[in-house]
Amino acid sequence: MSEAGSEAGSGPAPRKVPVLAFEKLSKEFKLGLRLRRVQAVRDVDLEVQQGEIFGYLGPNGAGKTTSMKMAMGLIRPTGGRALIFGESVERPAVRRRVGYLPEHPYFYDYLTGFEILDFYGQLYEMPKKKRHARVDELLTIVGLDHARDRTLRRFSKGMLQRIGIAQAILNDPDLVVLDEPMSGLDPMGRKEVRDIILALKEQGKTVFFSSHILHDIETICDRVAIIINGRVERMGSLGELLTGNAGLVEVVATGASPELLARLEGDGFTAAVAGHGHRLVVEEGGLDPVLRALLDGGATITHVEPMRESLEELFVREAGAHHAE
Amino acid sequence: MKRGPIMRSEALHPGRVLAVARNTFREAVRNRAFLGLLLFSVAFILSSILLSALAVVGEGARVVVDFGFFAVALFAVATAIVMGALLVYKELEKKTIYTIVSKPIHRYEFILGKYLGLLTILVAQVVALGVIWALVILTRDGTVTFEHAKGMLLVVMEVGLIAAVAMMFSAASNPMLTGLFTFGLFIVGRLVYLIEEMLQAPKGLFVDNPVARAFGEVVVAVFPDLSVFDVSQQVLLGVPVAPSYLLHAFVYASAYALFFLVVALFAFERRDFT
Repeated sequence: MSEAGSEAGSGPAPRKVPVLAFEKLSKEFKLGLRLRRVQAVRDVDLEVQQGEIFGYLGPNGAGKTTSMKMAMGLIRPTGGRALIFGESVERPAVRRRVGYLPEHPYFYDYLTGFEILDFYGQLYEMPKKKRHARVDELLTIVGLDHARDRTLRRFSKGMLQRIGIAQAILNDPDLVVLDEPMSGLDPMGRKEVRDIILALKEQGKTVFFSSHILHDIETICDRVAIIINGRVERMGSLGELLTGNAGLVEVVATGASPELLARLEGDGFTAAVAGHGHRLVVEEGGLDPVLRALLDGGATITHVEPMRESLEELFVREAGAHHAE
Repeated sequence: MKRGPIMRSEALHPGRVLAVARNTFREAVRNRAFLGLLLFSVAFILSSILLSALAVVGEGARVVVDFGFFAVALFAVATAIVMGALLVYKELEKKTIYTIVSKPIHRYEFILGKYLGLLTILVAQVVALGVIWALVILTRDGTVTFEHAKGMLLVVMEVGLIAAVAMMFSAASNPMLTGLFTFGLFIVGRLVYLIEEMLQAPKGLFVDNPVARAFGEVVVAVFPDLSVFDVSQQVLLGVPVAPSYLLHAFVYASAYALFFLVVALFAFERRDFT
């Protein structure tokens, strides 16, 4: 069952084993005294290839955390399976090559920054000298040098998140699984996490991370999967996925005279007041005449951008489609 | 079968178990509530000096010895039940388990480490209280012999068994129930010898009522007889505890502890950490 990885190469056509694969992964919980059935994850198929930054997107409660926990062996699937490097995640040795940051991570708060990472290092059987050197290196990477000997009880939320990231990359893993790594962080913290993820990619690592915020994901992901109600609804690059308003361009201009606006309206373009100026939505093909008209009319164009569906809109659209079924 | 380097670390690794154990011990040492309980129990044992002053002349040392046995066992049992009930539960409740079980550690290694850590705490506690107790005996002109140490060793065996019971319940339920069940088992275990005597008596409830008799027989057969570990009266009477008795008690405690731990391991192995 777990031969796929080790057998590669002996067959005629060596197929590249995905770093992380979900195969018809499903989880049904039985809740409450009456054991009400709740399908948290349904038949999720997904493959993350080596070197990718893969975003796992979905609203709260969509099944992101549950499927990530199944990937890490914290929750047993009720259907299908999760494989890491083609091996079952139930085997501890597989987890040697993986780092994991849970959502809202919690740590032993009676330990210091150094002690907690040293403890995790022992679980990886790292020899003492190497371990201590690695822990000090990590504290520098995540910017916690100053808190080396402070107990975690006196850490801020952002500092705890940094400890979380440090323990997730402690073993120099080939795959890093991050559950909502940017939640609860300020803009600076978010940027730092983004930089760490990009640095991991540069080192050839694979990153699988979840978020419910589009902005966290759009700048760094190679591919994303969108999960709604436990089902992966879309998979691909973000550009491919957010196509709801394809072909529309948003134009914002200031200083447009009433006559100019009236003339545009006559041509079928409605300008809405937006801030100090006006906002028009134009089809891509008809962009040039509008821009020319605005400039000729003495207006200043401050903003031209192809419109993209927001993730929220996509969620609403997909969720709506579900209700309609 | 040829496998990659990934095969390493499939077997039990003592280093990981010890890491968890050491950390469990460190948690107790840094826990104010535990240190408070320790201080209180020391004060409790010291208070037996006052109590012995009230005793009949010449009986002061006896009171101290008897009271000390009781106090050390009481606090060690309380620690075993409370800590055993909370150890695993806290890991789940505070979600600290996620970053541990996702490391290359077997779940059974985690439970073993927790148990070993708790055992170390209990041993340290019994040793510390035992030393205080010995000092108190000496101040009351009593003599401390090797028999007293044997008595303490038996207390360690008893609480080791009880800690395993607590671990078993806590791997599958919540601390309230765990505390209740474990305490119940402790009480019944301490009374098993009484039931046994009643079953052998020529008359009484267990002879007249067949249902009660069957019930009594099941209790005696299933529950550990914890009176095995209480040699306070024997020590008081100056009867030496035979090494063979210690060995027997050790095997008895280990067998029960092992059984409860194995059940705990299976319960923990099957859990979803949601």
